[in-house]
Amino acid sequence: MKITRQHETQDFVDGQIVFREGESSSEMFVVRTGKVEITKTVGGHAMRLALLDRGAFFGEMSLLEGLPRSATARAVGKVSLLVLRPGSLLLQIRRDPTFAFELLQQLSGRIRELNDKLVIKTSTAEFGNRLARSAFLTDAAAEFNAPAASPERPVAP
Amino acid sequence: VKTTAHESRLLVISDIHMGNRLHRTREEFTEFVHFALEHRYSICINGDGIDLAQLSLAHLVSDITPSLGLFLKFGENDLRIYYTVGNHDIALEHFLTDVGRMMVVPFLSVTSGDKRIRIEHGHMYDDMFLRFPRIYFVFTLIGRFAIAISPGFYDALHRFNSAFVAFSEWALSGFGLMKKKKKKKDETEEREDRIVGERECFRAGADASGSRGFDAVLFGHTHFQGTGTLMDGVKYYNTGAWFGDPHCVAIHDGQIWFGSVADLVRNGDPFPQSTSDVVRAITGVYPVQQSTEHRFTLTDQFAATPQ
Repeated sequence: MKITRQHETQDFVDGQIVFREGESSSEMFVVRTGKVEITKTVGGHAMRLALLDRGAFFGEMSLLEGLPRSATARAVGKVSLLVLRPGSLLLQIRRDPTFAFELLQQLSGRIRELNDKLVIKTSTAEFGNRLARSAFLTDAAAEFNAPAASPERPVAP
Repeated sequence: VKTTAHESRLLVISDIHMGNRLHRTREEFTEFVHFALEHRYSICINGDGIDLAQLSLAHLVSDITPSLGLFLKFGENDLRIYYTVGNHDIALEHFLTDVGRMMVVPFLSVTSGDKRIRIEHGHMYDDMFLRFPRIYFVFTLIGRFAIAISPGFYDALHRFNSAFVAFSEWALSGFGLMKKKKKKKDETEEREDRIVGERECFRAGADASGSRGFDAVLFGHTHFQGTGTLMDGVKYYNTGAWFGDPHCVAIHDGQIWFGSVADLVRNGDPFPQSTSDVVRAITGVYPVQQSTEHRFTLTDQFAATPQ
């Protein structure tokens, strides 16, 4: 760890963990050099959520909400991070007003991305349900031997 | 608001103060825009391009008209114009969007080659502008009359203003007693690397901004041109103003050139492009030519192997 006149930085080697899912640390980080991989454990498997490049923020959820880490962050290559602690966040915003703007911008971008994913997931699930429902009706109709609802008829989406 | 961009070639200038009643930039600016277009550079006007604080609409129209036609040609050549908002044109924040080929932004993070470059006007770090807006306004009015007398007089007054502010800061800090004593060697090194006339708050702002993964930080606003190195080797440039000897930064695939606009126009492109580079920039493909053996060969220097 290095604390310069105005900011604190931390260096990591390839593969080193910055923080783990479930941990209760509350710093936020900005990638200065290198890349950081964010993963989340789903059903025992690590799922990659993002690969963050220079200038990207991460860890802000724990800092702003005071909750345990929701994902794991790992260094990819040699990484240097700018560390922001809860006590220095407002000072950083005072010193660097564009920082707040960019933080909001990135958070907004992430919400948009999540919304898009949610729409795709919901519509896929809905389509699946409809498909299952029409397959069920087709089978039922075939069972009752109703010629009007023959399985050869095209199924409405 | 999109604040990121990827640019292979970019020219950055600041503080043209177009439309200022007492200072005209028509010829120099038109020549600069011609140069950018001719050498295939996108341009970034880093704040205070239009002097809305001291505006004469007649002068603005007269100064900007020759460049407007050229601005349209940027679009035709797949080049862009970026405009970061400054304190003299802060009203332009209402237009934080793409206006045709012009992108109006509060600040810009440019990726060029493997370098990340931050471009901001810098007024958000000016403690006088933020803490004492009325005093700042009075100094702006005084500056307006100083320009009427001569740019040299304006410069002198500007230096006096900076000295006055520095003295006030020193007095407010308990005549320097509150500050830690530094080693003499460090002080000398720091002085050599400092832009003459520029106040500490801008360097601190550039430091804070640059610490977020940038290789270089570009400011305007202070009207004092120069370069320096910030913490962790981040380079700092200030392109000054068009009242005296306008300066600019030329960026080409991450390489940075800093110098006066007059030198740039007189001496030519610091990063000259080959014909194949130009063709590739326009078409996005490597140019090919037919060899004597009726085979096509890539003419680009990076892919000169015959097929």
